[in-house]
Amino acid sequence: MKLARFVLFLVGLVAGGPLLAPTARAQALDRAGLIGNLCGNASAMGEAAAVLTGLAMSGDAADRAFAVPLARAVIDRKLACDEAGAVLTESGLDAVTRAPRPAAGEARTPVLSLKNRATYELADAALALRAAPEPAQRAAALKTLERRPALIPEGLLDAAAASETDAGLKADIETLAQTAALNAADPAARIRALARIADTPSRRALTKVSALTTDPAYAASPDFRAAVDDATLRIERGIAIGDVLATLYNGLSFASILFMAAIGLAIIFGLMGVINLAQGELIMIGAYVTWLVQQGLRVAAPSLLDWYLVLAIPVAFFVTAAIGIALEASLLRHLYKRPLMSLLATWAVSLFLMNLVRVVFGTQNLQFETPFYVTGGVPVIGDFIFTWNRMFAIAFAIVTLALTWGLVRRTPFGLNIRAVTQNRDMAACIGIPTRRVDMMAFGLGSGLAGLAGLALSPIYSVNPQMGQNFIIDAFMVVVLGGVGTIAGTVVAALGIGQINVLIEPLWGAVAAKVIVLLMIIAFLQWRPEGLFAVKGRRK
Amino acid sequence: MNRFGLFSLTAPIVHLIGLIVLVALAMAGLAGTEFALSRYLANAIGQLAAFAVLAISLDLIWGYLGILSLGHGLFFALGGYLIAMYLLKHSFEITGTVPDFLQFMGWKEFPFYWDGFEFFPYALAAAVVITTLISGLFGYVSFRSRVGGVYFAIITQALVYVAMLLMFRNDTGFGGNNGMTGFTVLFGWPMGTSGMITALAVVSLLVLAGVLAGCNGLVKSRFGALMLATRDDETRLRTMGYETLRLKLIVWCLSALIAMLAGMLYVPQVGIINPRVLSPELSLEIAVWVAIGGRGHLVGAVIGALLVNAVKFWLSFAAPEIWPFILSGLIVLVVLVFPNGLMDLAKFKLMRPMGPKRLAADMGEARP
Repeated sequence: MKLARFVLFLVGLVAGGPLLAPTARAQALDRAGLIGNLCGNASAMGEAAAVLTGLAMSGDAADRAFAVPLARAVIDRKLACDEAGAVLTESGLDAVTRAPRPAAGEARTPVLSLKNRATYELADAALALRAAPEPAQRAAALKTLERRPALIPEGLLDAAAASETDAGLKADIETLAQTAALNAADPAARIRALARIADTPSRRALTKVSALTTDPAYAASPDFRAAVDDATLRIERGIAIGDVLATLYNGLSFASILFMAAIGLAIIFGLMGVINLAQGELIMIGAYVTWLVQQGLRVAAPSLLDWYLVLAIPVAFFVTAAIGIALEASLLRHLYKRPLMSLLATWAVSLFLMNLVRVVFGTQNLQFETPFYVTGGVPVIGDFIFTWNRMFAIAFAIVTLALTWGLVRRTPFGLNIRAVTQNRDMAACIGIPTRRVDMMAFGLGSGLAGLAGLALSPIYSVNPQMGQNFIIDAFMVVVLGGVGTIAGTVVAALGIGQINVLIEPLWGAVAAKVIVLLMIIAFLQWRPEGLFAVKGRRK
Repeated sequence: MNRFGLFSLTAPIVHLIGLIVLVALAMAGLAGTEFALSRYLANAIGQLAAFAVLAISLDLIWGYLGILSLGHGLFFALGGYLIAMYLLKHSFEITGTVPDFLQFMGWKEFPFYWDGFEFFPYALAAAVVITTLISGLFGYVSFRSRVGGVYFAIITQALVYVAMLLMFRNDTGFGGNNGMTGFTVLFGWPMGTSGMITALAVVSLLVLAGVLAGCNGLVKSRFGALMLATRDDETRLRTMGYETLRLKLIVWCLSALIAMLAGMLYVPQVGIINPRVLSPELSLEIAVWVAIGGRGHLVGAVIGALLVNAVKFWLSFAAPEIWPFILSGLIVLVVLVFPNGLMDLAKFKLMRPMGPKRLAADMGEARP
């Protein structure tokens, strides 16, 4: 403990005057003494400026509020010194007591020396940054400080950033704090600043730090050089970790969308041997329904507008489910014995839906509000930001997975689906209404596609062609995962999503798709029925 | 012997082949006279003939073997791209016109894999070898692991989709998203003249007639009987000790080669090839032509392709935005009401209708 204090003391000594000032003001501010110094000679005025700057960094809020007008008044020559102290001539208040009184006798206005002018401007900006009521005033003060980063006392900007309420200004202050610390006159302060910057690695930090290799101190001081190299290394490592995490995170969100697009396909395929080529368009319709709900809320209940993503969940599900049931009842029920024809039939439906939407809504991308719960994110490490819109899709997919799993595994309806999937004839023999199960399952699969459309609307652009971007990947998920298994779909979606996103930065999106397809074809050599094939006779 | 019998002069396919040859001869004979077809019409007939060849290639594999490919556009585009490479290189040799895509990419010369494409025999051989390699490899791995039915269809669709993405890249040396265009010379003659247009159309028609005759001979042969047996009950055939892998592979590669041929006929007539030929929609459309014409009938495939594309040609002028609706309506109609396409209309036994059993079983791809 003692040692720590001693080190702190040493650090304080090294840091020099600006750092000593706050430690000296543990006790209450001597307001009259300060005003006296302001009216004193050049060296007294210099001391007073140091006190003012110190107040900006620490000291209590009341003292700071007291100090705010002083530096400005001295600079603007609005301070009249007389026998009883001083008067702020602009407001006509006594400088010490802040009671109104006229300046007595022959009032004298203190004159700033050239050296003191700079320190007073610094003090004024520092005080304004901490205590000015308007963000614009604080921003102006920050601008003033930016001009002379080397003069800014260490700790001021950190204190200001900590108490700043405006997010944009706070980021600016933090940036300046880093620059200031890096360019400080004192090498120890710079080394400490380097260590702190390395704690929050980002590409911007890297450019800042790597710029220091051309600094004269880099060649001159081995300590500094070591600190810079160490910081560069740590930042680079942080960025690398951040990139990996960001890739995994993007892959996870892509996999979530894929999963939601594919799970409906997989259930339908397992049940009826039908691949629904219109699944992509059902996704698209889910997104359009979400948009319509948003527009409806805008008119009917603007206060609920932020919650449209949640309110649209049942609407998107039931609208697409209804379309799916209608599709099954009118078209696909005639095609169970002819699965290849059902491909053409569902493609016709896809063509029809896509063009219908194109005619009704046009081809442009839809504009979505971004509610607060899908805005922004939490910076984690490097350039990896844990964004809420992707998290929304991931969470949505997890909930969907849980519900679908529960539905298929734990309800009578799910039992029927599984029975018909395993053996349609036998299920019919024991009295399961296979036709109704088919229809309801088709509705379920279509509804899940609609939910996928809802989940991807905050991330991807929504237009009539959007379904095409996901559908082939979704097919591949079904082929890879195996017929009608939820587990297979989850694993295949994760695999394909991650591989796509992993390969993309290396060789590009196209190569990713090519490699994924080749891997699937190769995989089918080994397991033609997919990852999680239902054990039984090979069809 | 009756069912798989050899040619009879009254068979519709003979009439069709005769008609095609007749049209080709008439076009050739009338060229240059006042009775000659307009350039637009001659060009349209030539393109339709190329599409008909493409439809036959799919019918061979789908109608006679029960394997639906939703990626036949890949082989069509292969032929198209390779003939386009020949045309560009040849035009460059003769007129010195540098292809747009080279200028666009800022390249000084053709990439090395363009070497030799100025010789037509080399381009043709390259097309045959590459198509056989790709189709053979893909067919082998798919059929060996007995991937079939819907699985095969969507994997072929993914294949053509991936190929499209690949060709959309500008750095592959195949023209990127703009594709290849600006063909000026073919076999030393300038392109775009009415003589050249007629010649290409006549050649396309003759090739169509030849492909029709050849495929007819194939499906009527003992080999054709094995194809139908594979389609209708592959398991039984395998149980009897016949390995269907080789048969499927041969027909698949043959089908790919015919599709490639169609692409080689098509591209000189439209004067452009770009990755949109590889879009899954076009490959699906081929299946629609065949379905509308009637699977398992070479005549049906030809008529389906001609009919659908003629309507499409006409509508793309009259009302392009309603074409998708008409197409989807046609598909639904065929799927629900006429499962054998136009063949269902042939009540007066112009063609032999399919047996009721096979109708229900949908050409051997029914689930057990």
